Amino acid sequence: MANTLRPYLTCIRNTLTAAMCLQNFPCQEVERHNKPEVEFKTSKELLLNPILICRNEAEKCLIESSINSLRISIKVKQADELENILAKKFLRFLSMRAESFQVLRRKPVQGYDISFLITNFHCEEMFKHKLIDFVVAFMEDIDKEISELKLSVNTRGRLVATEFLRQFT
Amino acid sequence: MADDEDNASSVLDADTFIETESPEVIIARIEGKSRQVERLLRIPQYAEALETALMDAPTQTRDERCKSANWILVHRVLMATKDVDGLLMGLNPELHDILMKYLYRGLATGDRITCDLCLRLHERLFDMAGIGCIMRAISDTQNLV
Repeated sequence: MANTLRPYLTCIRNTLTAAMCLQNFPCQEVERHNKPEVEFKTSKELLLNPILICRNEAEKCLIESSINSLRISIKVKQADELENILAKKFLRFLSMRAESFQVLRRKPVQGYDISFLITNFHCEEMFKHKLIDFVVAFMEDIDKEISELKLSVNTRGRLVATEFLRQFT
Repeated sequence: MADDEDNASSVLDADTFIETESPEVIIARIEGKSRQVERLLRIPQYAEALETALMDAPTQTRDERCKSANWILVHRVLMATKDVDGLLMGLNPELHDILMKYLYRGLATGDRITCDLCLRLHERLFDMAGIGCIMRAISDTQNLV
């Protein structure tokens, strides 16, 4: 599994470096509004081609870019039912606290587990290469976190069962 | 104000360009290419086969069959190649952009083997062609592959 992880993350990093060329662009339709164009998709000329990078059937990453904003949606690997539930709960926990992450989107895009929305204002405040490092590190760590959670659930379950059944011996 | 709006909408509709060749002509040409590619793969000359497959790619048309037919051809060449580095070394630099677009198409399929191959090729092609190649692939909304 690890042999495809490196090229997958490298590909995502390179694509993000190319796609994250954002500049301020006030809304064309409404005066004095400044909206992330990738979310509204009102004008075709402001959008770039969406890029879908799949590692395999289960894991993929959708990168949609526009003139002033970039949306990255990730589907994480979920091998079985337990990982499914753990991933959903964990990522929902993170999404609910999207305010403190700044670049996280409150709701993931349909068909994906978690989404990031990076605007030109984020790029002005923070370093572009650091933002990309953050996203790639997030993707690396999410798999480790879910494996750890699964391990701790199984360990706890085993301990509880042992203690409970001890009273019957 | 109404005049500005009319002008704007006519500019936006300009993406319905006039197709210079009919889909049948393009498909016939792709079939000719596939015979040539099969012959080159049998020798085997992978670099020439890839060049033949990438040359004259149907980017100017909107017909999905032509695009799928050419993609199948490119896919066949990429799967048949054993030596990834040698393949890219010998490739004409003008074809780097088209190859990058096809790699992204391959990555979107989701098939494990194809994605594995496309990820490796993407890394090598990025080292050779640089970030401009990716930039052109994602910003070109007219010539889709």
